[in-house]
Amino acid sequence: MIKSLSTFILLLTLTTTAFSQEGRSIRGKVIEQTTGAPLPGTTITVKGTSQGTTADQQGEYAIRVNPGQILVFSFISYEAQEMTVTENTKTLDVALKEDLKQLSEVVVTGALGIKRAAREFGGGAQVVSNESLNQGKTVNPLFGLTSKVAGLRINMYDSKVDPQIQITMRGSRSLNRAKNAPIYVVDGVPVPEITRLNPNDIENITVLKGANAAALYGSEGVNGALMITTKSGTRGRGTVKFSNTTTFSQVFLLPPAQTQFGQGVNGVYDPTQAESWGPAFDGSMKDFGPVLPGGSRHKLLYAAPSRDNRLDLFETGVNLQNDVSFSGGDEKTTYFFSVQDVAIKGIIPEDKSHRTGARFNGTRKFGKLNTSYNVNYVYFKKNTTPDGPWITAYQLPANFDFNSMKDWRNPTSFASPSYFFTDLQKNPYHQIDNIRDLNEQQTVNGKVELDYQVTPWFSAMYRVGLFSTTTQTRSTTGKFEAAGRRNVNGSVSDGSNNFRRLNGDLILNFNKTFGKFSTRLILGQNFRSDYTKTATISSSNLLLPDLFNPGTRIGELTGSSGITEYRSLAGYGEFTGGYNNYLFLTLTGRNEWVSVLSKENRSYFYPGVSASFVFNEAIDALKNSRVLSFGKVFASWNKTGNVTLDPYSLNNPYSQTNGFPFGNLVGFTPGARYPNPNIQPEFVTSYEAGVQLSFLNNRLNFEGSYVFSDSKGQIFNATTSRATGYSSAVVNAGRLTNNIVELSLNGDVIRRNGLKWNVGFNYTHINNEVKELYEGLQSFNIFRQSYANIGQQYPSLQVSDYQRDPQGRVIINPTTGEPLVATDPVHLGTMVPPYQMGISTVLQFKGFSLGAQFDWRMGGWLYSEIVPRMYTAGTDPRTAEFDRQPFIFPNSVIQNADGTFTPNTTVLSKGDKAFWTKQGEIQINTAAKSDYFKLRELSISYALPAALLSKQKVVREASIGFVGTNLFIIRHKDNQYGDPEYLYNSTDGYLSFRQVPPYRTYGFNVNLTF
Amino acid sequence: MKKIIQLVLVAALTVSFSSCSEFLEVNNNPNAPVSENLSLSAKLPAALVSTVNQETGQLNQIGAFWAGYWGTTSEGVNLFVDLKSYNGPAIRHQRDGIPVWENGYTNLLYYQLIKEQAQTEGALVYAGIAKIMQGWHFTRLVDLYNNLPFDDALQGTLHPTPRYEDGKTVYEKSINLISAGIEDLKNAPAGVGPGADDVLFKGNKTLWIKFGNTLKLRALIHQSAAGDPAYITAEIQKIQAEGSGFLGVGENAFVQPGYLNTASKLNPFWENYYRTVQGASTGNHQDLRPTVFALEQYKRRNDPRLATLYVSVGTDYKGVLFGNPNAEAQYNRASTSAFKGPQENGNRPAALFKTATQPSVLMGSFESLFLQAEAAQRGWITGSAKTFYEQGIQESFKYMEVAASEFAAYNAQPAVNFDQATNKIEAIITQKWLALNSLSSIEAWSDYRRLGIPAIPNSLDAPAPTARPLRLMYPESERQTNNAEASKQGSDDMIKDKVWWNR
Repeated sequence: MIKSLSTFILLLTLTTTAFSQEGRSIRGKVIEQTTGAPLPGTTITVKGTSQGTTADQQGEYAIRVNPGQILVFSFISYEAQEMTVTENTKTLDVALKEDLKQLSEVVVTGALGIKRAAREFGGGAQVVSNESLNQGKTVNPLFGLTSKVAGLRINMYDSKVDPQIQITMRGSRSLNRAKNAPIYVVDGVPVPEITRLNPNDIENITVLKGANAAALYGSEGVNGALMITTKSGTRGRGTVKFSNTTTFSQVFLLPPAQTQFGQGVNGVYDPTQAESWGPAFDGSMKDFGPVLPGGSRHKLLYAAPSRDNRLDLFETGVNLQNDVSFSGGDEKTTYFFSVQDVAIKGIIPEDKSHRTGARFNGTRKFGKLNTSYNVNYVYFKKNTTPDGPWITAYQLPANFDFNSMKDWRNPTSFASPSYFFTDLQKNPYHQIDNIRDLNEQQTVNGKVELDYQVTPWFSAMYRVGLFSTTTQTRSTTGKFEAAGRRNVNGSVSDGSNNFRRLNGDLILNFNKTFGKFSTRLILGQNFRSDYTKTATISSSNLLLPDLFNPGTRIGELTGSSGITEYRSLAGYGEFTGGYNNYLFLTLTGRNEWVSVLSKENRSYFYPGVSASFVFNEAIDALKNSRVLSFGKVFASWNKTGNVTLDPYSLNNPYSQTNGFPFGNLVGFTPGARYPNPNIQPEFVTSYEAGVQLSFLNNRLNFEGSYVFSDSKGQIFNATTSRATGYSSAVVNAGRLTNNIVELSLNGDVIRRNGLKWNVGFNYTHINNEVKELYEGLQSFNIFRQSYANIGQQYPSLQVSDYQRDPQGRVIINPTTGEPLVATDPVHLGTMVPPYQMGISTVLQFKGFSLGAQFDWRMGGWLYSEIVPRMYTAGTDPRTAEFDRQPFIFPNSVIQNADGTFTPNTTVLSKGDKAFWTKQGEIQINTAAKSDYFKLRELSISYALPAALLSKQKVVREASIGFVGTNLFIIRHKDNQYGDPEYLYNSTDGYLSFRQVPPYRTYGFNVNLTF
Repeated sequence: MKKIIQLVLVAALTVSFSSCSEFLEVNNNPNAPVSENLSLSAKLPAALVSTVNQETGQLNQIGAFWAGYWGTTSEGVNLFVDLKSYNGPAIRHQRDGIPVWENGYTNLLYYQLIKEQAQTEGALVYAGIAKIMQGWHFTRLVDLYNNLPFDDALQGTLHPTPRYEDGKTVYEKSINLISAGIEDLKNAPAGVGPGADDVLFKGNKTLWIKFGNTLKLRALIHQSAAGDPAYITAEIQKIQAEGSGFLGVGENAFVQPGYLNTASKLNPFWENYYRTVQGASTGNHQDLRPTVFALEQYKRRNDPRLATLYVSVGTDYKGVLFGNPNAEAQYNRASTSAFKGPQENGNRPAALFKTATQPSVLMGSFESLFLQAEAAQRGWITGSAKTFYEQGIQESFKYMEVAASEFAAYNAQPAVNFDQATNKIEAIITQKWLALNSLSSIEAWSDYRRLGIPAIPNSLDAPAPTARPLRLMYPESERQTNNAEASKQGSDDMIKDKVWWNR
């Protein structure tokens, strides 16, 4: 198929038209009317001809024209200006006026990368500019979007050297928690991830929120689309930009620890026990750990430290970003070339990562054929230790001296794993040095696009994109020979993971205007092929401590490999009809064939319709309103099909475990997931209606929309009772509805004398509800404590609780003093905050700019798994609340024989380890509201005045700035566990004991343009 | 130009549609076989190994603590706290708990799928084995959880929330299932069936039938005090009518898939409780110790098994106190007796640890013999209780590497001799308890729940002095996925609620 298309494209490469330039030369400068700043990139064209040029970085231009011809000066979001050239004109300086009208008519990158005016858009769309995206100078571009777009929720969920991100748009449509992320489309090509994309390369991101906008991208677009447009060069003088950002990260929000009691057992000091169940700190020097080889014993001050010793485990992370870009172009070609280097040193000692990426974007015109090509190569490397050190740290006694434990290689030191004070925990520094994960990844992403303008009303385009990652991993554990638990087996595991996606679209684009009617028809055909191959080879028993190769193993070699293929084909179409440029109607349809379903089920069709109406231009009374400058209403209906199934899910695969094969004896067991060969596509029906208003010459902008979506027949992996024989089942069931309100308000509070203060606010309320589950079930377990319950929001937190009397007091066992555990779990609320708000503010005065982004989320619940472990270890403050003495359980009652309850004033509960360990299992003790308000980003920058720079010719622009993220946070008072945003492994409302605490960053940046 | 458009449209559409189905044919799993690819002989070994791993791992460990065999050293005071303090919610915890229920049903599924395939293929031996093994697992689960799904179980999404049945009913249905399995085995044509893939009895149908009968006897013995003697009598009569009898002297249900002394292929009991593949002492070996009580029982009888089971400290054997919340020096690792293995025994096999590739004990002949001794003593079966009792001790001696010649002197002691015992049942159960030590400890715990024999001291970390574990709570995973059914069963308190045969 590709072959036949390339022949076609060759056919299309027909003619080129020649340019001719004559007349006299005119020079000039284009400036911004209010500030007087130059407007580089302004397009200057000779009216009625194809001649033109662009202004350079000083806003200066030169062009040849004949007297009497008219020059048109245009620049995006400025009012175009026409100037007639006379016989005497030699220089022509122009001041362009900001066209506030056009601000509300931004150009959005629609489906298939086709740019169009926002006015004809029948759905929610928001454009985030390069400047806004890079305000916090984040390494991952997605993180730069956080809280800036109504309806988009982004959580960073770890603080290591390669932070991962969870992203959902307009809540959850799928009960399959991994399938609610939007599709990423880079320059028209859908890619599986954009984590490694250099944010500085991004011109803008258009966030298409509704299923309608993304319908043409296929099923993945059901969750909306992030349309990323990377930079391209502009005609005129070449530009070189350099920027450096250096930020520092510091850990914060550690779960609090008690500082009253030290190590020991049942109130008695024990030098070799790690848990903090010993006596109260007394300020004496005590033996610490076992007897050392020389017969001596290490001693440690048994005293509550004045600061949190656990902080010593962490270092200040350093993040260094250097970017260089070159861009330029002429009439026929443009180019953009960039190189970025990001080096991160983590907050855990020795953790580091390095990313080097380069991008080349180019375009060239051959007459009617426009070609463009992008290549992005990224090399990423990281070297980290797994979760161990921090998991150890929060279970150690408060007086543990981290700094003294680095000398573990000394065989006679108390830091040596042979003599570490306990054998039930490891020396964190031994873990750091000895257990390493290396990861090297190369990403190649590119596209070639050929667009041929066949006739003025018809163009044909073919675009093929490749996204490939090659990941090599190596995990090693150094052998350390010692007795019992202190012994560490040497192990190595080498892995490789190769992923390749090929995506091709043929798009035929028809445009025709009939009087007041405009029409556009897009017909397209798409193929996609994803191929993954993984292989690991490992040994868990190495001969030598510092040679990591399965070849030096003892015993057998282990390893596995796997190939996964996914393919799809689609045919699609979109028709837009417009009337008088204020009323638009769009119809879409797509039929998709996917490889992962059975032959009978794999073809499915989904349609959509949307409309928009710019009413202030249609209604005479509003046409010249001084108050209302723009007004649009829009609405849409879409039914989108989706297949969230992974390849090979229609059968239950068997595998060999438990040591099989033993010689020639094989032994296969089935997987724990019940397969369903008859899985069908799921469908989401969504309705959206909204309004966009601009007032007072676009000084105040408002957008509001209401969305209702209804997902039916969902494909998800339902957790099932183990008594079914399986831990989960793939089912086509469940119905989930979403009622969503999105509001955003943006306005210039002050706009005078070079002072501009802009404030923006966005608000999202997502009220989702589980309507049906399969087989008449009322409740479905999704992941640990999260459930889908009919009639409730999804996912909802359900936890074990105490038995309580009608007043909510805890019933205790009158003989043991133990609180009784309720049989049924209690429902607390949704684990996703239903209210999300973002507040942004930008204050600009001359060269100064101050920007801040606040993030506010309310109404959700979270659950922490770190606390039960800290209860058991005796490090949680609650375990010291009653001085470890028997106590009356607060607000407890005793059940009388007649069923009534008497407040407990006499029965004591044991305050010992066994008691508190049990309380840790009562999950309500570790649940809290996840409300927060945080200053997500703060940036202050200062651009050196042009006057200062005019004395030399090298540097054209320069600015310096301060950036910070997470500078402050307000949490719900019950949440002592961590940052509520900071979720484990893409879960909802779930904090794990594995997670390293979050960090805040601050630093500075320098930008230079040459 | 229009022609070109037409050409392109036609080309694109025909290309895509004609090659469409071929292009999409990539959904056959290239990485793993599916059921249809595999013969029964490729499935049975894995199921049997999975069963024995659970029995000798998780279940034996719970039993060893609760039947009074094991405690921990002072260094290990913080180990196994959930078992020592009877922390029901922690044991049922989805991730950090002990997934007895989950593993039990997983094993049941393995046999369910084998059973279904065997029935389709008419492979009666496999079908029979699968039924008997399902009987094993269902009764085992009832012993721990009481009421649970039987008819509705193991059918995937057909019954997404399987209905629970009364523990007694499940027991009866399990016994019937075993009977059906025995029937299949008897009806199977000679010479057809598993061979080496039967890692338990190497395709010996007679042993399978005896094993089935022994399981049925065990299930009946469990309900000795449950107040339905007529049922027991009727079932015993069926076993006798069948006529193959029970596992006897030299007839052990040991699983040997061909363990190798290499990573992940060792006998798991060895690797867990004795030595790693590198030959390093395991954490469990360092911190698990016999209880003072257990040592006393052997010492009181001058039991020669003491010397093959444990390492002496000086001239004596020193134990620990189960659940001791304090870390007292006298119970340190160095001051107490560890399990003995070849390394502490002049490279000769010891009672529990013989070699890294020793077979796994599913059920020893000694257990069967003590079951028969009790049944005979209760007058259920014919035969001499004394003979079964003495054979049971001798088979235990044999397994625990005690010379056969030691038996006569041992048996002559008043504390051992069956004729001199005033309470015969107590004598049988006590000797059974001495024989099952660390091998089938979960059965010893069931005997304790049923009869209170021997007089095991309570955990020092028990929530109350009289509080004993009586069952496990329904797991959190079940509360999360099938709560309506689980809730109908009422309270599942670990120290309050008994299983049906223990009432």
